[in-house]
Amino acid sequence: MSSVLDMFMVLTQPELLLLVGVGTFAGVYIGAIPGLSVTMAVSILISFTFSWDVYPAISLMIGIYMGGVYGGSRTAILLNIPGAPSAIATALDGYPLALRGEAGTAIGVTTVMSFFGGFIGIGVLALAAPLVSDFALKFQPRDYMLLAILGILLVGSLSQGSLVKGIFAGALGIAIGAVGRDPLTFTERFTFDFQLLNGGISFIAVMIGMFGVSEALLQLHHIDKDAVRQKITRIVPSLATVKKHLPLSLQTSSIGVIIGALPGTGGDIAALMAYDHAKRVTKNPERPFGEGAMEGLVAPETANNAAVGGAFIPMMTLGIPGDAVTAIMIGALFIHGLNPGPMLMIEQPHMFWFIVGALITANFFMLLFGLTGIKLFTKIVEMPRSVLIPLIMLLSIVGAFAVNNAITDVYWMLAFGVFGYFMRHYGYPLGPVILGVILSRLLDDNWRRAIISEREELGRFFWGILTSPLSLTLFIAVILVFVSQTPVWRWGKSKLFKEN
Amino acid sequence: MKRILMGAAAALALTTGMAFAEYPEKEIQGIIQWGAGGSTDTVMRSVTPHAEEVLGGTVVMQNMTGAVGAIALNYVADADADGYTVLMGAENPMLYKIMGLGDKDYSEFVPVNILARGTPLLVANNDAPFNTYSEMIAYVKEHPGEVRFGSTGPGGLPSVVTAMVEAVEGDLDVIFVPYDGDGPALTGLQGGAIDVMPAVLGAAIEGVKAGNMKALGVVDVAESDKLPGVEAVAAVNPGYNTYLPWGPFFGVFVKKGAPDDVVAKLTDAYAQAATNADFTALMDGRGFTLMNISGAEAEAFLTKWQQGTAWLLQDAGMTKSSPEDFGIARPAQ
Repeated sequence: MSSVLDMFMVLTQPELLLLVGVGTFAGVYIGAIPGLSVTMAVSILISFTFSWDVYPAISLMIGIYMGGVYGGSRTAILLNIPGAPSAIATALDGYPLALRGEAGTAIGVTTVMSFFGGFIGIGVLALAAPLVSDFALKFQPRDYMLLAILGILLVGSLSQGSLVKGIFAGALGIAIGAVGRDPLTFTERFTFDFQLLNGGISFIAVMIGMFGVSEALLQLHHIDKDAVRQKITRIVPSLATVKKHLPLSLQTSSIGVIIGALPGTGGDIAALMAYDHAKRVTKNPERPFGEGAMEGLVAPETANNAAVGGAFIPMMTLGIPGDAVTAIMIGALFIHGLNPGPMLMIEQPHMFWFIVGALITANFFMLLFGLTGIKLFTKIVEMPRSVLIPLIMLLSIVGAFAVNNAITDVYWMLAFGVFGYFMRHYGYPLGPVILGVILSRLLDDNWRRAIISEREELGRFFWGILTSPLSLTLFIAVILVFVSQTPVWRWGKSKLFKEN
Repeated sequence: MKRILMGAAAALALTTGMAFAEYPEKEIQGIIQWGAGGSTDTVMRSVTPHAEEVLGGTVVMQNMTGAVGAIALNYVADADADGYTVLMGAENPMLYKIMGLGDKDYSEFVPVNILARGTPLLVANNDAPFNTYSEMIAYVKEHPGEVRFGSTGPGGLPSVVTAMVEAVEGDLDVIFVPYDGDGPALTGLQGGAIDVMPAVLGAAIEGVKAGNMKALGVVDVAESDKLPGVEAVAAVNPGYNTYLPWGPFFGVFVKKGAPDDVVAKLTDAYAQAATNADFTALMDGRGFTLMNISGAEAEAFLTKWQQGTAWLLQDAGMTKSSPEDFGIARPAQ
């Protein structure tokens, strides 16, 4: 039991406390800049911290991770440019709030709810890690496939306006995600014999182009218009606001933990699914979704921060990474002479509790850095557009180049930027494109794995779905979500209500 | 005229000055073929700091992933042959040509050091109805088309091990489920999505020790001291002795044409680094066999490895083009 006390190790050693703090601070800003990702920062830290002791190295990485996941929401709210894929849903309702001059309120709610979500994630990690990882292992390829289909059905929630246009955007995303050498058979797909396409199209470059550059181009239309004055009244949301969103936060945090704990899915999918969930369960939002609904901020932000704790669950219990960042951390632990794997928790429980402690500390730092400096941040939106637009362009280029240090990614980014501008111009939503790119491989790889496992017999495949409780649940969910988006549902519903 | 002469003299002074400057006079770029946190990454990041000490310079390591490592390989092959861009890679490029994945392999490079070699291990899901390699072969033969093997695409370790098993034991009627790496496949194995997975010992050993999966056999000539009691496949069927020992390896390479003194310096630095106690302990802990070879010895190892593996895959019908097309000779029986 003494190892539980290692949780407080971070607090008792000023050096570690400082590193978590510095990491979180840096993370918030790294996360806020599109293209500078947490994954990248942590992998740079591996070389940088090589000669350090393991505890300071992990402290710094955890700080950056926690801060970075939160930081993505900043630019999403202020500029409509998500700093990371996990903040795409945040922009949908965050930016409309900034346009109304309520960016301060939006950031305040986001911060407090991220903090809340973060705690749920850490709590589950600390108390129920083995249980959750056992559950995560139960997911078979067909379950991942069903999960991906469920994700693709979110196109409906993400396409404000025309569903057909949303479906087009989603399909485009899936096609973009399929470019390059297929990772399972190494066959070239959509490469047209261009060597450069062998590695596929970096989806971060697509995201930066579609959101960053297209936003800058769009703003050129109003270059003379004055920026919206931001009123900074109440930043910290009232207790009543937090209380009101508590039930929803608990639900979306749970989505975040589970999706985060599944190897192969992470905060980006979790945030989008949570947004969709909020849209379904919220009966009467104060403002409609897409125009600044608080629920539209609460859901993705609780989910993506809860996914952090979730991602550590398979890492700590099984040595299996829950996402790209924890994959690098496993490498870091290994370099520092530990053997990350299922024995880690048994042989070195203090490492587990130390990580839990560092996460909790980072979560508090995130709250602190999130709630301070908001005034300064909102000044960004108040900047004259003639300054802001070039700045966005510059950041987009740097960010796209930084992904792989490849100039090709900058070209892709610019091309998708122009393309995204025209898509917006003609009312095509951009969210589904990114959704498609994210889910493309999850769907494709797992469908093939699932059907190959069943000797390529459809009958056996469906029998497998019907006989597994998990698959059956997901299958029913897919059908329900699908039907609920068709006219049949509305027709049936109206009939039912008339009869009553 | 005077000016031209002076210019020429200055230029001469400059070039001679450069020739005498000590390598490394600037940062060396280390291109890691695989992603951060993977085996290659970990090996390179743990050995390089020790090499930096000997070199007295900095090696900036960068992960460049994609196209089974071909993107990193091409990047270094296209860079200047001045020893300031080194490739940190694994065994895969030796199979690019026959697999149709690229037109270059390590023959365009000078091996600075082949650091270590891994040993393949056959692991199975705990509920699988067999406990040893011999039981597995018997079960597969009695139940055709039932057992699920994990694979990681053509040319990956599982494909080579499977080709070896089929060459020795005859064709196996099993289902091959493709994964994009041994990590995800071993996760699938623990959840029961696949029954058997050939993986490098280092990747599976912690799971075996914890009882999350079981080791069927070591694909080597003798048992491993890391897993006592797990049978060696060559002990079960001596036919394996033709192909074993075999394993994936990790090495540091520079482009051919780099100055000899630069290659000598790098070679010396990595040779010393590979004997560092921290590094050897790390390698041993993960079940890697330390090699630390360079020069002609490394070249000979690479040639032998490529011949053996390429023809094994060719005979199993897994290649895109015959090794013969690229002058890869069939190994002497």
